[in-house]
Amino acid sequence: MIQLYHVHKRYPNGSEALVDVTLRVREGEFVFLTGPSGAGKSTLLRLLLVMERATDGQILIGGRNIHVLRDSSIPFLRRNIGIVFQDFRLVPRRNVFDNVAIALEILGLPRREIERRVNQLLEGLRLLHRATALPGDLSGGEQQRVAIARALVNEPAILLADEPTGNLDPELAAEIMGLLTDINRHGTTVVVATHDIHLIERYGLRTLALHRGRLADDRPRQPRPVVDLPSARVSQPVALASSPLSSQAVVDPSPDGPVAVAADDFDEGGDA
Amino acid sequence: MKRGPHLRYVLRQAWLLVGASPWLTAVSALTIALALTLVGLFAMVQFNASRLLRELGQSLTVQVYLKDGTPPPVAAQVEQRVRGRDGVRAVRALSREQDRARNRKLLDPELLQGLDEAAIPGQPVLEVEIEAELASRGDVEALVAWTKTLHGVESVEDVAFGAEKLRLLFAGVEIARTIGFVLSIVLLASAMFFVFSTIRLSVFSRRDEIDILGLVGATPTFIRIPFLVEGVLQGLCGAVLATLLLGGLHLELRGLVRDVYMLNVPWSLLPPGMVVWLFVGGPAVGLVASGLSVGRYLRT
Ligand SMILES: Nc1ncnc2c1ncn2[C@@H]1O[C@H](COP(=O)(O)OP(=O)(O)O)[C@@H](O)[C@H]1O
Ligand SMILES: [Mg+2]
Repeated sequence: MIQLYHVHKRYPNGSEALVDVTLRVREGEFVFLTGPSGAGKSTLLRLLLVMERATDGQILIGGRNIHVLRDSSIPFLRRNIGIVFQDFRLVPRRNVFDNVAIALEILGLPRREIERRVNQLLEGLRLLHRATALPGDLSGGEQQRVAIARALVNEPAILLADEPTGNLDPELAAEIMGLLTDINRHGTTVVVATHDIHLIERYGLRTLALHRGRLADDRPRQPRPVVDLPSARVSQPVALASSPLSSQAVVDPSPDGPVAVAADDFDEGGDA
Repeated sequence: MKRGPHLRYVLRQAWLLVGASPWLTAVSALTIALALTLVGLFAMVQFNASRLLRELGQSLTVQVYLKDGTPPPVAAQVEQRVRGRDGVRAVRALSREQDRARNRKLLDPELLQGLDEAAIPGQPVLEVEIEAELASRGDVEALVAWTKTLHGVESVEDVAFGAEKLRLLFAGVEIARTIGFVLSIVLLASAMFFVFSTIRLSVFSRRDEIDILGLVGATPTFIRIPFLVEGVLQGLCGAVLATLLLGGLHLELRGLVRDVYMLNVPWSLLPPGMVVWLFVGGPAVGLVASGLSVGRYLRT
């Protein structure tokens, strides 16, 4: 579903955010992208969304080389990728319903269909009673769920989440993780960037570790998770059959050999 | 699956943009209204000047003076020739005495006291009532050219129809038209600049929103349309205001013309279709200005 070949990213200011990164994520996989603050996690997600272009190397999403994607095609790629930003990026002037509806308005769905789908999703995320609230009046956990709802409502093939538990207390973090794993169980490929090593330890899912822009470790999914995944709270399945990318995934499960990295290399300090 | 945004969505977003800065919108709409009103006034002046000239052309009188003592058969020949022109409605032949009698009426009675009858100017003349198209200065010149051909005819002494006055009138109308045109361009350009600026502010105030829409897969068109509609709405408000202003001015002017000049004023002094033009022009100004602004400041 996602393939990177020798991807480099150097920002104009000269900082080397990604260095020779090669990796594959299969369709339907759940992957943690980890590494200390500044390792390049957010940069990698930004490259997938073509918010930035790679300096070098190739990136394939659903078999399509986004390195050669025309600017006019970018919106259509983005419709297949839901993203949950670290700072949520909700539109402050639009209420919860409208924020989530954006992703469907863009597709030009009929109003009734939009209302049906948004309300259904909000209900599943226990946000329906907040539908008319503005983002500024929501708690951090609520904002996070609205951001997730917006990323999911158009049933994308891929869900990217940047530090989705970063600002939340452990209980809320567990709830969000439960949500993400449930979405994944319904077929969506999920990539979660986090520097929270404890979170990763708890779930035992496949983990890609970045270190100073290099892929330092690729730890496969542990046979048994350390803890049971929290039960799903999405009342309706997030169906992905209609998603255009899911049908054309070109994937090979075996990643390149891992390079060991010591756990103390991760700092858990504040991330940008 | 449809691509474009729904009308309802677009209108709602545009309305929110308008509502976010009602004062700027009001100023924008007012500038457009003022520009349209003044342009409308220029159009009104032009329209009525042209109409007046055309009416003038409907009843021109050309005096063809004949030499004293022109024998009747020659006069009849000249008359025949004059009648040959298109638009000649009537030709009246006046004898020297008839012309003198006419002139006497025009002269100051005191001046006539004790004046010898022969001292009053009088000359055989053909009074030609002519209907001529007077749409441009060229039409006056065509008439002049025709009178010149009469000059060459035997026993015609002079031909007069007030060509100088007509020329002056047309020159005045043309100057007014040029000034009006230049001022209209300037006014419309400044109105556009106002809209351009308000839309720029609008775009800047929505930077975050624009970015977010792009990140969730909105096309540039989808993002831009509400801003364009905002510009069109400003133009529409301007058109409504201009219509009210011009309507009021028109009523005033019509009353003035009727009372002061005792003229039988036609029902409307306004060019036909003026309101339609206002309602096309206002939104068009808004659309062009917001299009330029969005093209420049909304890069996605
Ligand atoms: N827009 C940017 N311009 C310049 N340098 C950047 C930019 N974004 C990130 N960086 C740099 O790239 C490196 C990786 O950053 P980032 O991808 O945000 O890491 P992470 O998300 O893992 O904390 C850091 O050194 C950071 O300073
Ligand atoms: Mg980051």
